[in-house]
Amino acid sequence: MMGPVNVRDERDGPDAPDGAGRPVQGGPPGRWRRPDASMSLLSDLFEGRLADPGYAAAAARRRAAGNAPAPRRLRAVVALSLLLVGVLLAVAGAQVRRGEPVAARQRARLVDEIHSRTRETDALSRRLDRLRTETSRLRAAALARSAAGRRADRDLAAAETAAAARPAAGPALVVTLDDARRPGASGAAGDDGRVYDQDLQILVNGLWAAGATAVGINGLRLTPTSAIRTAGEAVLVDYRPLTGPYQVTALGDPGALRAGFTGSAADQRLAALRDRYGLRYGVADEGRARLPAAAPSAPRYARPAGEKE
Amino acid sequence: MFALIGLVAGVLLGLFLHPSVPLWLQPYLPIAIVAALDAMFGGVRARLEGVFDEKTFVVSFVGNTIIAALIVFLGDQLGVGSQLSTGVVVVLGVRIFSNAAAIRRKLFGA
Repeated sequence: MMGPVNVRDERDGPDAPDGAGRPVQGGPPGRWRRPDASMSLLSDLFEGRLADPGYAAAAARRRAAGNAPAPRRLRAVVALSLLLVGVLLAVAGAQVRRGEPVAARQRARLVDEIHSRTRETDALSRRLDRLRTETSRLRAAALARSAAGRRADRDLAAAETAAAARPAAGPALVVTLDDARRPGASGAAGDDGRVYDQDLQILVNGLWAAGATAVGINGLRLTPTSAIRTAGEAVLVDYRPLTGPYQVTALGDPGALRAGFTGSAADQRLAALRDRYGLRYGVADEGRARLPAAAPSAPRYARPAGEKE
Repeated sequence: MFALIGLVAGVLLGLFLHPSVPLWLQPYLPIAIVAALDAMFGGVRARLEGVFDEKTFVVSFVGNTIIAALIVFLGDQLGVGSQLSTGVVVVLGVRIFSNAAAIRRKLFGA
């Protein structure tokens, strides 16, 4: 059981020669007992010494006692310790493997929750639409009882249509805009072939200018205060991310709209983008399009400081 | 020999019994394993160098494991648990590697 004991290790034992700074008797020449022996991790490491000096000490002690073999009881304890190591390893491995599906399940649950919440929101907005229709029907019925009421109803209808607060339907002009196909037509960088918020803004403004009575992008109704902007790679319309192809529907007489739009600044700009960067851009008539009402936004008024509401 | 049988039996036991680790113990399991590995490599190296001692091995195994877990526990209480775990892993990792290098030298002479 006992092999040759590494002489150097014995310095750490209880019977190691004491005396800092002096060469150790019997040790290899040039080796010193360090004053910093308590901070020995790195120095032990570099000298290649046993990391646990307890073994050397025990070996020295045992040699002093005359090489008595270890009792059987201790050997059993060693086996038991290693049994524990094995159990730990196996349990940790099993734990890691069990942890993976847990993470996947949690992600799936989050995705499910997102879907269910989106469905909930959709249902609520449908209910809102229904209730709003109901309200306006009741209001119209109430207003229809008097001449002043009928006049007010007409004014209200005009205002609501202008504010995109009620659904609109009719013949329309549909302008389709989409990113260039990936290998850019002119070999331009990928970013150049994308539809930016500015392009959509100019297109929408051009359609308003051509006389559109209502405009929607991908079925989302635009109000006079709608914002079209870019966030990262997505185009946000009223803070809702949209993805291409962008279908901009403009309600109004298609002939008049087309006449007003063709050759306008917006048309010229988009045609130039199509020719230069390969942006896909097309205009088509549609016999009957329907746009939903936009969510009403309460207008906010600025007032001079100090003035009461 | 006994030791090897014990290790294999332990792995099999863990795989078949599937003991569930209580939640409060889970952060300390990896550190305890690293400490146990350190004790194991130290023991193997001592065995190869002919200075193996059963009592030292058992005491160092139990002591290292408990102290490593305690350090991490203390770090968790102080709010520096992850940093302390890193420190423990680095120190034990250094020891494991140096012991493994010594074992390699003894076994293969390289």
